[in-house]
Amino acid sequence: MTPAALLARGLSKRFGRAWALRDVDLEAPAGSCLAVLGPNGAGKSTLLRIAAGLARPSAGSLTVGELAAARRESRARIGFVGHETLLYPALTARENLLFAARLHGLGDAGERADAALAAAGLEALADRPAGALSRGQAQRVAIARGLVHDPDVVLLDEPFTGLDRPAAERLADRLADLHQGSRTVVLVTHEVSLAPRIADRAVVLAGGRVHYTTDAAPRDGPALEAAVAAASREAA
Amino acid sequence: MSRPVSESAPHPLSVASGRPSLWTSGALLAGLLLLYAFLVASAPGDRVQGVIQKILYVHVPCAFAAYLGFAVTGVAGALYLWRGDERFDRAALAGAEVGVLFCTLNILTGPIWARATWGQWWAWDPRLTVTLILWFIYLAYLLLRSFTEGSERGARFAAVYGIVGLAAVPLNYFAIQLFGGAAMHPDNLEGDSLGPGMGWPFAISVLTGMAAFWHLFRLRVDLETRRAALDFAGESGPE
Amino acid sequence: MNVLLAVLWKDLLTEWRSRDRVVAMLVFSLLVVMVFHFSLPGGASAQARENAPGLLWIAYVFAAVLGLNRAFAVELENDALSGIALVPADRGWVFLGKAAANVAVLGVVQAATAFAFGLVFDLDLARVALPLAGVVALGSIGICSVGTLFAAVAVRTRFREVMLPLLLLPLLVPVLSAAVRATASLAQTGEVGFAPVQLLIVTDAIYLIVSFVGFEYVLDE
Repeated sequence: MTPAALLARGLSKRFGRAWALRDVDLEAPAGSCLAVLGPNGAGKSTLLRIAAGLARPSAGSLTVGELAAARRESRARIGFVGHETLLYPALTARENLLFAARLHGLGDAGERADAALAAAGLEALADRPAGALSRGQAQRVAIARGLVHDPDVVLLDEPFTGLDRPAAERLADRLADLHQGSRTVVLVTHEVSLAPRIADRAVVLAGGRVHYTTDAAPRDGPALEAAVAAASREAA
Repeated sequence: MSRPVSESAPHPLSVASGRPSLWTSGALLAGLLLLYAFLVASAPGDRVQGVIQKILYVHVPCAFAAYLGFAVTGVAGALYLWRGDERFDRAALAGAEVGVLFCTLNILTGPIWARATWGQWWAWDPRLTVTLILWFIYLAYLLLRSFTEGSERGARFAAVYGIVGLAAVPLNYFAIQLFGGAAMHPDNLEGDSLGPGMGWPFAISVLTGMAAFWHLFRLRVDLETRRAALDFAGESGPE
Repeated sequence: MNVLLAVLWKDLLTEWRSRDRVVAMLVFSLLVVMVFHFSLPGGASAQARENAPGLLWIAYVFAAVLGLNRAFAVELENDALSGIALVPADRGWVFLGKAAANVAVLGVVQAATAFAFGLVFDLDLARVALPLAGVVALGSIGICSVGTLFAAVAVRTRFREVMLPLLLLPLLVPVLSAAVRATASLAQTGEVGFAPVQLLIVTDAIYLIVSFVGFEYVLDE
């Protein structure tokens, strides 16, 4: 299957009277890694959730490959790591991964769960209930959960939350590796300093609108930070 | 499922064009009400029940209007889920509100009539009971809408509930018929229990009831459309 | 189908680990039996026995509402519900899995409650245990079908505990009237007529289908 591109056109989303996203156009070509930056309340999480098929646009469109993100076929290709871990505290790490694998219809769910644990270096925690894991450990299991079905599009919402600096940097390296495998990655974060390590393009959102995009490799951390600061001031 | 690309909230100018049709439905209603009043006043009293029987001319049209309202809610809700057009959602809400209004009137006039003719305020007969259950269902619908505070998600929840509510109507009928209390309602819908001279007043009263429903429904939809237009206008200002 | 089984497995396993939902439902049910016994006149008299099937189903509905609310409250922790909504299949299968788990958990509570009822109201339910189980199962399917659908709705509104009974109870009239009728005739005569069972089957079928389709829309944001 060819890697999928993510494309938003005129995307808008309303919750009650408030517009979380207004007329957003953006693109993550197949195989690229897009960082979505911006201050709190910018609509970044909403954007990601629409891409994952969890919410539907109020207007405009968001497609993954050729199909709308909300379609079942799109959901099969997407791996989502949200703000929260999506884990069941009463189930062990392995059982959580097993459940996710089964939801995706994987026949060899057991092997996949074990492989995901191994890839994330979590074998020791396999039989620990998810409720007993530390924030950082739970986060790693959550990421393994999002990747268990080997998706071509990976969406991550603030994956660095709750991680200390060394752990965050390790995760950033791991994400950069992920991206090498021709997957399309969309990363929402407000850790602007980590974005350049992983992403090859960036977009800055504020107040639900796009304020800045760059598709040159944003190795320039300070420029990105300046763009985010400017966007925050404008939107305030 | 396709989604309209453009905003589905109406442009403020298009709201104004709803006004002429409100005048039409209002005028129609006013005309019918006059005719209705005349016919009901001059209709013969029932031999057995006396003049209280005339409450039939209110009670039955209210029932029809209520059921119509609930049907609108269910169907408009389904269309909203399918097409995503907010106008369907507004129609569903209006249908439920106006339906509940007429249902309440129906439930209030029923006991007045029952007391006069059967000697008791209430009886668990099939039609009354089903109407009561329906009242509860659509009250719950309105509560659901108010507890979700006008969000899109709330509209979707309400649409699903409206559809299930509509599906429950025939089920409730069968249930009450099979197991409920003895039927005390006159089988008046079959037509022959209406005495002579009552045919026309009855027909006009039903028509008036429909016209009243239509006018109130249009008013409510108009109100809701204006509110949506206000929200839309509020957002397009400069940031 | 795999999705159904996966969700069913997950729900039952989660419940087994903590057993808090089933215990709460059970204790609540037994409390209700006790309250009925003390507050209604007649004790174990013939009149009380006539009312018993209705009371039994009231107890079942209360327990069901409690369990249904809990079933989705669990999903709100860590936003697990989104994890389920991501499934690349018709979300109706998720609904069926959850509804099946709810029926199973409710079934355990119902069996215990029926036993308690039999004791308190001096009813010999053991001899009709099998057909009674069938009737109770049909009733539970009706309750848990629209119950699961609207629990998913109620848990994301304000006043979630209050919302579910408000939404659910009027819809359950066909199920309850048929179930009570069937239970009463089983308890009194040992036989059950075709009419209540037929109504239960038709209602269950309609509610299951509508809930299956509706669940897709209910999981969206």
